[in-house]
Amino acid sequence: MNEILKLEHIQKYYGNGGNITKAIDDISFSVEKGEFIGIMGASGSGKTTLLNCISSIDTASAGHIYLDGTDVTEIKEKELARFRRVNLGFVFQDFNLLDTLTISENIALALTINKVPAAKIDIRVEEIAKTLSIADILNKYPYQVSGGQKQRCACARAIINNPKLILADEPTGALDSHSSQMLLSTIQSINERLGATILMVTHDVFTASYANRILFLKDGRIFTELLKGDNTRKAFFEKILNVLTMIGGGQTDVC
Amino acid sequence: MYAKFVFRNAKRSAKDYLVYVVTMTICVMLFYAFLSITSKYYNPDIGTEYEFTLVSDGMKIAICAVTLLLLFLIRYVNNYMLRRKQKEFAIQSVMGMEQKTVAWIFFTETFLMGAVSIIIGIFSGIFCSQFITGMLLSAYEQDYKLSWTFFPDTVILTICFFSLSLLAVGLLNVRTIRKIKIIDMLYADKQNDPHINRSRYMPVIAILYTIFLIFMTVTGISKMYFYSDPRFPVPVHIMFWGNIIAPAASFLLSIVWCIVRKKWSFNRYILAAAILSLVNIGFAASVPVIQSTYMLAGGAGTLNSYLMFLLVDVIFWICCIIYLAGNLLSEWKEKSPKYKYRGSNLFFFGQIISKLNTTSKTMTLICLTLVLSVFLFVAAPALTGWASGYLDIRSLYDVQISTRYNSVHDEADLPQDNYGLVTDFLHEKDIAVAYDCTFNLYLPNQEDFHKRVKLDFPIAAISLSDYNTLREMLGYERISLNEGEFTTQWKTIAAEKERNEFLSNHTVISTDMGILSLAEDACHLEAIGQTVYNSYTDVLYVFPDSICDNLLSVMRNRYVKTETTIPYNEAIYLETSFAQKYPETPDNGNGVQYYIRTSTQQINNSIAGSFILQAAFDYSAVVLMVICLTILSLQQLIDAAHYKYRFGVLRKLGVDRHETEHLILKQLAVWFGLPITVAAFVSIIVVSYFFKTISAQISAYIGIGALLTQVGAVVCILVLLLICYFISTWILFRKAVTE
Repeated sequence: MNEILKLEHIQKYYGNGGNITKAIDDISFSVEKGEFIGIMGASGSGKTTLLNCISSIDTASAGHIYLDGTDVTEIKEKELARFRRVNLGFVFQDFNLLDTLTISENIALALTINKVPAAKIDIRVEEIAKTLSIADILNKYPYQVSGGQKQRCACARAIINNPKLILADEPTGALDSHSSQMLLSTIQSINERLGATILMVTHDVFTASYANRILFLKDGRIFTELLKGDNTRKAFFEKILNVLTMIGGGQTDVC
Repeated sequence: MYAKFVFRNAKRSAKDYLVYVVTMTICVMLFYAFLSITSKYYNPDIGTEYEFTLVSDGMKIAICAVTLLLLFLIRYVNNYMLRRKQKEFAIQSVMGMEQKTVAWIFFTETFLMGAVSIIIGIFSGIFCSQFITGMLLSAYEQDYKLSWTFFPDTVILTICFFSLSLLAVGLLNVRTIRKIKIIDMLYADKQNDPHINRSRYMPVIAILYTIFLIFMTVTGISKMYFYSDPRFPVPVHIMFWGNIIAPAASFLLSIVWCIVRKKWSFNRYILAAAILSLVNIGFAASVPVIQSTYMLAGGAGTLNSYLMFLLVDVIFWICCIIYLAGNLLSEWKEKSPKYKYRGSNLFFFGQIISKLNTTSKTMTLICLTLVLSVFLFVAAPALTGWASGYLDIRSLYDVQISTRYNSVHDEADLPQDNYGLVTDFLHEKDIAVAYDCTFNLYLPNQEDFHKRVKLDFPIAAISLSDYNTLREMLGYERISLNEGEFTTQWKTIAAEKERNEFLSNHTVISTDMGILSLAEDACHLEAIGQTVYNSYTDVLYVFPDSICDNLLSVMRNRYVKTETTIPYNEAIYLETSFAQKYPETPDNGNGVQYYIRTSTQQINNSIAGSFILQAAFDYSAVVLMVICLTILSLQQLIDAAHYKYRFGVLRKLGVDRHETEHLILKQLAVWFGLPITVAAFVSIIVVSYFFKTISAQISAYIGIGALLTQVGAVVCILVLLLICYFISTWILFRKAVTE
């Protein structure tokens, strides 16, 4: 398998002088092509900061991030936007859809920004909508559809450009359990059928259990790593729970 | 404790209040500047021959009427502040502060900021009023002198007016804040645009317009029934028929649409109605032109009715265009995927269409107000130029006594007086006389004495010697005539075409004293006063004295030029005492109408009138323009939170900063550009039409070149104002979105 993402000693500090907060403290790991990796941790553990650094929305204080061989930390400011739109796809907790555009237009926007020829756009939007079962709501506005449908639209927008890496930040955070389940199945099928590489940040165990590998963060460092391997999802779910108990228990012991 | 909180809060959020303070200051400044000249302490040096109370009384009314509009703006800016600070209110409420207290804190804050604006506004008003004083002094042809315009009565009036306005608007705000739910306040800036649905205002406007169409059709039919005649030329018939058929067709369209509305969308109906309303505009606008060209009788109020129809049609048309703009853009977007899917156009269209769909009512109002403002700006120089030009032509003599025989039925009753009263008055007041001429005006044919139909009124004649005396009084060269010859004197307003046509048809005229032929020097155009001509005529015959001696004298005038100007009070006294002896009303026994006009009074009334007109027009225009541009700008800034979110999404999708800024500029350009383009288009048509209807007066009293220069200057100022607003909105908006 090819290595698509590689983080080398990433650090992120906030503040200056004697008052420095280390949001990320020397994290290194790599992600293989087609992998579905989850990042878990308590609030303030550095999950979202890490995601922001990988997505080039935020800059790392030290270390290197390589996406398919390109060092993200070395890309010039002017090039960053282009880099993001070509290589990355985003799925956010609050969907980040535009209410002024229909579902179809929201998906198409990602293509038009990438300067895909106009003639191909409708075809590609329809294709992806069929894959994600949102073909019947293409002409509706975001406020006319359910949260699950909105998030599937966001997924469609994230994958339509075939990005090298899909970054999902708490994708089920704003959904009810049924919608969450449907969305996670969708994300899983995107990973399995389309071979997309997904990096998902979550603190929900059920959501995390859909991933193949999970990195646990604690105070800006990797606490441990868990592989799904041949485990069933249920078994994996329990394993995750155990790790989380361990992370929480450590604190209890100290107290 | 709360007082301290309010002060600290106001100080900290001064930047938030910038728009509020600037708008309020502009309002106060304009109010104070214009009102200061109506103060009882205001006493500019305009000379003894002028009376200033004429101006101040008129101005006060005009300013108060227009100022009511400012209330609307104050309310709007307050709403803007309310929306901006909702999150802050929510946090205060969550912390346990009662909503009532939150509301009163906001009230005190806005009031405090209002008070600051009033103080700054009054001081800026003092400087601004120098322009008004300058305008006033130039109207009275005096040299400009700096005058101190800090008047206690104006200050008190300004403070009272704005304090009451702030109080009223503030109390409304308190009520609003107390009613909003905390949860709604908390998420106010996270809410996306309101659902893209439409208000019912356009169907309501369409219904009102349809009802109005019935009135237009009925008026058209009644005008045709009472005033049409088969002998009229074709254009008149077209006008009569057009004013029936066009509104009737529009009405039928509405009815047909009601029947087949399931098959025909409302937008299509509005498009068709907009096209038909253009036809209606054409026909309604033709009425004044055709009426004056063919001297048609149309009955009382015809002109006013058709101007009202014109106004209604124009308003409806603008409503339609703004309403359809969003739809047309949507349709065009759908039909041209190539353009729609180019770069970030999809996002751009989404922004514009959603805004157009949700705020088309405001856009329409802005558009209409802009048209009104531009019209007022442009009409002011035309009308005041007309008034002052006309003044130069009519106030040629210091005392002008004229008569009219329109209600005299017996030749024995015709005036023969020498108006000795004026001689006594001038002698008594010790006013030296430079020229004095009492003269008769004759009818060439005695039988014409009873001709009293407007279109058939006879042309009067003056004897050569009297005519030459008048010319001498005014500094023109004397003229001579051979025996058996006559010449003509024309009003300034008479067009060249009219003169040439008349002269070619009147080379020879018959009088009671024989035939006279037109002299080689046939036409004199120098202004000699408006009262030497007979009613409803623009020309005066000049006959040799020997002929006039035996003609019927129907009017007796006396013109006096004095060595010194008659003071205002003396002039009024003379007019009053003259009117007692020689009343203007025809029921004075013999039916003769006597008129006395002193140049002092004519100049005073005219200057005061035109100054009030100009000041009121300019004040209204500036107020309306400021209202429009401020609202246009606030409309963008008010939604900055939504836009921040949307542009944020765009950035996350990989759109770079340069592109984002380009999009912001494009969006603002459309937002400002649409109402301004529609308003400019309508204004050009309205103003051209207005100039066309008064073209005779423009060329006679102002001069096309002079008017165009003034209009050009006004347009430049407006463009400059627009650019200032656009740039400041752009900077604030960019900051709010990209920060």
